[in-house]
Amino acid sequence: MNRENLLRFENITKSFFGVEVLHGVSFTLESGTVLGLVGENGSGKSTSMNILGGVHLPDSGHMSIGGVPYAPTSPREALARGISFIHQELNLFPNLSIEENLFIRNFHRLHPTLPVIDRKRMRASAQLLLDMVDLKLSPGTLVSRLSQGERQLVEIAKALSSDARIIIFDEPTTSLTRNEIDRLFAIITRLKSQKIGIVYISHILSDVMKLADNVVVLRDGGLVGAGPRAEFNIDRMISMMVGRSINQLFPVRSVLAIGEPMLEVEGLTQPGVVRNLSFRVTKGEVLGLAGLMGAGRSEAARIIFGLAPYKSGSIKVAGKALEPADPRAAMRAGLAFLTEDRRLEGLLMNAPIFDSVALPSLEAHASVRTGWINNATLESEVKDFSKRVQVNTADLHDVQARNLSGGNQQKVVLAKWLMRRPKVFILDEPTRGVDIGAKAEIYKIINTLVEGGCAILMISSEMEELIGMCDRIIVMGNGEITGSFDRPNFDQERILAAAMRRGRQEVA
Amino acid sequence: MSSISRKRFLMFTLRYVPMLLFAIVLLSFSLMSPRFFDLKNMINIVIQSSHIGILGIGMTFVLLTAGIDLSVGAIMYLACAMLAVYLTGLPIWLAMVVMCTIGMAFGAVNGLLITRLNVAAFIATLATLFIGRGLALFVTGTQLLTLPPPILELGRSNILGVSWTIWAFAIVLAVSWFILARTPFGRQVYAVGADPESAAKAGINVRRVVFFVYVICGFSAAIAALVSGSQVGSISPNFAIQKEFAAIAAAVLGGTSLFGGRGGVLGTVFGAILIQTVENGLVIINADPYIYPMVTASIIFIAVMVDSLRTNFLERIDQRVIRMEDLPR
Amino acid sequence: MTNPFSRPVLSSGNTSPQHRPLWQRLLLSEYLVVVLCLAYFCIMIPIVPRIASIQTFQNILSDMLPLIVVALGQTIILIIAGIDLSMTAIIAMTSVVGASVMTGTGGPLPGSPFAMPAGILTMLAVGAGIGWFNGFCIARLRMPPFMVTLATTMFFAGVAIWYVTLRSETTSIANLPRSFVVIGQGKLYGIPNSLWVTLAVGVLIHLMLTRTVFGRELYAIGVNRISAEVSGVPVSRRVHMAFVVSGICAAIGSILYTGRLETGSPIIGSNILLDIIGAAVIGGTSLYGGKGKVIWTVFGVLFLVLLDQSLKLMGLTLFMVFAIKGAVILVAAIADALRTKVTGR
Repeated sequence: MNRENLLRFENITKSFFGVEVLHGVSFTLESGTVLGLVGENGSGKSTSMNILGGVHLPDSGHMSIGGVPYAPTSPREALARGISFIHQELNLFPNLSIEENLFIRNFHRLHPTLPVIDRKRMRASAQLLLDMVDLKLSPGTLVSRLSQGERQLVEIAKALSSDARIIIFDEPTTSLTRNEIDRLFAIITRLKSQKIGIVYISHILSDVMKLADNVVVLRDGGLVGAGPRAEFNIDRMISMMVGRSINQLFPVRSVLAIGEPMLEVEGLTQPGVVRNLSFRVTKGEVLGLAGLMGAGRSEAARIIFGLAPYKSGSIKVAGKALEPADPRAAMRAGLAFLTEDRRLEGLLMNAPIFDSVALPSLEAHASVRTGWINNATLESEVKDFSKRVQVNTADLHDVQARNLSGGNQQKVVLAKWLMRRPKVFILDEPTRGVDIGAKAEIYKIINTLVEGGCAILMISSEMEELIGMCDRIIVMGNGEITGSFDRPNFDQERILAAAMRRGRQEVA
Repeated sequence: MSSISRKRFLMFTLRYVPMLLFAIVLLSFSLMSPRFFDLKNMINIVIQSSHIGILGIGMTFVLLTAGIDLSVGAIMYLACAMLAVYLTGLPIWLAMVVMCTIGMAFGAVNGLLITRLNVAAFIATLATLFIGRGLALFVTGTQLLTLPPPILELGRSNILGVSWTIWAFAIVLAVSWFILARTPFGRQVYAVGADPESAAKAGINVRRVVFFVYVICGFSAAIAALVSGSQVGSISPNFAIQKEFAAIAAAVLGGTSLFGGRGGVLGTVFGAILIQTVENGLVIINADPYIYPMVTASIIFIAVMVDSLRTNFLERIDQRVIRMEDLPR
Repeated sequence: MTNPFSRPVLSSGNTSPQHRPLWQRLLLSEYLVVVLCLAYFCIMIPIVPRIASIQTFQNILSDMLPLIVVALGQTIILIIAGIDLSMTAIIAMTSVVGASVMTGTGGPLPGSPFAMPAGILTMLAVGAGIGWFNGFCIARLRMPPFMVTLATTMFFAGVAIWYVTLRSETTSIANLPRSFVVIGQGKLYGIPNSLWVTLAVGVLIHLMLTRTVFGRELYAIGVNRISAEVSGVPVSRRVHMAFVVSGICAAIGSILYTGRLETGSPIIGSNILLDIIGAAVIGGTSLYGGKGKVIWTVFGVLFLVLLDQSLKLMGLTLFMVFAIKGAVILVAAIADALRTKVTGR
C-alpha cells in the first residue's frame, strides 16, 4: 500500500493565560494508518486535538492536510476540510431515527429547491453507511433505543457521511462492551483500508498497541516519543508517560499515628455501577482512589455521600452505620463532598460567593425551631474560613462565584465544607482545571485538615498528585477494586497497570 | 430479564394511558346516553373541536422546541377583529389571506422577541397577549360585532357533503404532519427541542428554526380564528379568551412534552377531540354545566401526571452504566 | 472595599461596580422601577393634574394592598424558578368557602362571635390545602409547575362557581359578619386594617426570605437546584412548602378582597393573574429563579397600579390599559434580558 502524508502537525505551541501548555509538538499522520496518541491527563492531548479540530488557534507552528496548509478557525471549517471528531460524549438526538441523525444537517431532498426529504435516497445512503460500520439495524430505528456502543457506531457513520479523511477517536471504548469494542476495531481496520487517517486517543494502552501503526507519547505538553509501534511496548509507554520525578509541589506532613477508622465501606454493590467495594479510611489518613475515567470512582463517592442508591453493602462513618441515599444524613454524620463538577454541583455560580460558602452551614447557625439565622456568627465564620483558604473576604458579598478563577472557585468549595468541620472529606478531582499556584495552596489546605484529624478520600486522575498526597492508594477499574498500594511501595507503573485492568482480563 | 420485560410493560401502559382514558370516556358516555354514540354526534364533536385542534397544532410546533405561546388567543381575536372592521369589503379569499398574514406577522414579532432579544418565551408572549388584545379591543371599540356575511356562509358551506370546518381541520393537520415528519425543517424542530446546544453544534440554525415555529403558530391561530369565527358568526370582547390554555392542554394531552422534542400533531388532534368529547358528553347527559371545567381539568391533570411519571421513569433507565453486568443471553 | 453594612443576605442582588456608565448603573440598579415610577408620575402631573391628589393616592394604596400580598406569594414561587397560575382560583375558592362558613344556614356559626375567626381559619386552611396539593405534585411527583397549577386553577375556579350555586340563588354569598368586613375596610389608629395586614405579611415574608434557613435555601434552589441538593438542602421539602406559603398568601389576599367587597364571590380576582406575575417580574424578580425581593415586588405593584390609575384618570378605555400594560411588561422583560447581557452570563 502506498502511503502518503495526510496530516502534518509541525511545531505547534499554545499558551493559555500566559502558561504554555503545548511546546512545539510535531507529528505526521499517514493516510490509511492509525496514530495512537497517549499521555496522562494534562499532557496536551486534548489541546492538540482541539487545535486540529478548529476549537483553538495555535500560537505558532503550522498544519497541513495533504500538503495544503490548514489553519481552521472553527469546528465547521475543520469539518469542511475532512476532519471528524468522535467525542467521548456522543452528540446524537435520541428522539430522532438513525438516518435522521446522520443527515440532520443536509437531508436528501426530492429536488434541490424543494424542502421535502427524499426518504428513499436517505434510507439507501443511511443503509450504505450503516453497512460500512457493520451496524445491523434498520436506519429508521430511533436512537433512544440503541445501546451506547451502537450509538458510537452511528457517530462513526456520521463522520463517514461527511467524507472525512481524518477521524479522531477520543477514548471511544469507555462505555462499550467487549463485543462492541471488537466491532469498533474491525471497523477501524476497514477505515484504514479506505485510506482514511485515524488518530486514536486512549488510556487503554493494550488497545493502542493492538491498533496503532505509529505511536506518539505526550507529557507535560511536549513530545516525548514517536515512532512505529514496533519500537514500543506497554511498559515503555507507561514509563515515558510518567517520566519525571515528583517535585516539591507536595507539602511535608508531620507523621500522624494512624487512628481509628472514620470511614468504613464494606461490600458496596450497585448493579451496573460498582461491585463489592470494601475499604476504610482512618483518622488522619489520606486514601487515594486511582483509576481511569469512567472506572466508577465518582459514582462510588456519590453513593457514599448519599446522592445515589446502592443495593447491598454497608457504609459506616466513625463507627456508625449511615442511612443510605440521604446526603443530609451523611452530612450530619460528618461527611463532606467536593464534587467533580464544581460549576454544576459545588457552587451557586450566579450568586455572591458568600451564599455558596454559607449554604451547607445555614442550619448550624440558626435556631432549630424557627430557623432564625444568627447573622453575626454566620458572617464572622464565613469570613474566617474564607481567610483560611485565602479567598479575598472583601469580595464575599460583591463578587459572584462565576467570576472567580478555577482555583479560587475550588477554594470556595473547600471553605464551604471546611465550615462544617468534616470528619471525613471526599475530594473528587480537587485540582482539576486549577493553576499550579492554587494547586499548591489546595494541597496545603488538605494537609492542615489531615493534621487536624480529618480522614480524606481523594479521587484523582493525576497520578503524581495521588503519590504526593496519599498514605495509601487503591485502584478502581470497571467498578471494582483492582489494586491497593501502601505509601513506601507506590509505583506509578504498577498503579497505572492496575488501573488498566478492567475487570475483564486481556492479553497485553 | 424479567425486570426488563416488566419495564417494557410499564412503559407500554404509560404510553397508552391517554388512549385508555379516551376509551373509558367514550364507553361511559355511550352507556349513559344512547344519543352520544351516534355518527352525527361524532361529526359534531370533530367540528366543535376543530378550532382548538388547529390552534393546538400550531402550539405543538412551539412546544416541540420547548417554547410556549400564550398569545394565540389574542391573535385569534385580533385577526377576527380586523376582519369584522376593516376587511368587510374584501372578497373572502383576500380577507383570508390578510388574516393569515396578520397571524404570521404577530408570530414573527413573538419569534423576534424570543430569538433576537432573548426574552423568555413565557413573558414575551404574555406581553404580546396583552398588546394583541388591547389592539383588538381598540379596533372593535369593545363592541360585539357580527362578522361579514361571506364568513357566515363559509361556516355553513359544505364541500362534497363535508363541512368546510372539517376540510380546514384536515388540511391543516395533513400539511403540519407533513412538515414535521417529511421536511428537513420539521426534523430540525425535533432536534432543537431535544437539545438546542447539540443542534447548534450539528450545524442547525437554531434561531431560524425557533423563529419560524412562532410564525407557524401565529398562522395556525389565524386559521383557528377563521374556523371559530365562521361558527360563532360574531365576536365579543371575550372572543377566544384563554384559548391558549386549551391549546396547550390539547397538545400535552396528546403526548407532546412541555420540555421539547417529544410529541406530534396527531396526538394534539386526539387531545383536542378528547377534551371536546368530554364536554359534548357532559352536555348530552345533561350534566350540571358547572362541573364541566372540573372534569376537563381533571382529565388534563391525569394526562400530565402520566407524562411526568413516564419522564421520571425514562430518566431512571437512562442512568449511566459503568460496568456491563453479565446478562443471560 | 468591603461595606460593613453590606447585606449578609443569601440573595443574588445585583452588584454594580462603580466604573459602569450611568445608563448601565441605572439599568442594573434595583431601584430602577422606583425611578421609573417617579419619572412617570412627574410627566403625568401636567397631563392629568388630578394624579397628584389625596384621592388618587388613596386609590393607589387601596388597589395595591391585596395585590401586594398575593404577588409576594408569587415572588416566593418565582424565586425557586417555579410559577403558580392557581393563585386566582385559590382567591375565588377561599372567598366562597370562607363566606359560606360564616353565613352558612342552620349551623351554629352565623351571628356568633366565632364566625369571623372560623371563617378566616377555613380560608387559610383551604389556601394552604390547595397549595399543598400543588406542591405535592410538583415536588414529589415532579410534574411541571405550569401544567399542575394550570389544571388546579381550572379545577378550583370551576369548583368555586359550582359551590356558590349550591349555597345561594345569586352568584355570590353576601351578608358577611361585620367583624370580618372590617378587616378589608376598617381602620386602626387611622391606618386601614388592610394596610396593617399587608405590612405584617410583607415584613414576615421579608424576614423569612432574608433571615431564615428556609428563605435562604429557597434562593439557593432557584440558583442551582443540584448544587443545593449536594449541599444538603432538602429540596423537595422546601419546594413543597413554598407552594403552601403561596397558597396561604393567596388566601390572605382573598380575605382582604372579600372583606372589601362584603361578599364571597367566585369571580373575585379572576383576572388579576397576569398582574400578579407581571408585578413580580417588573419589580425585578427573575422567571429563571434565584432572584427576588419583597421590596422589589412592592415596587412592581406600585408601578402597575400607578399605571392603571393614571390611564383611568386620562379617561382611557380598557383597551388602551390592556395594550399599555402589555407594552410595559415587554419593556420590563427586555430590560431584564439586557441586564443579563450587560452583567455577562
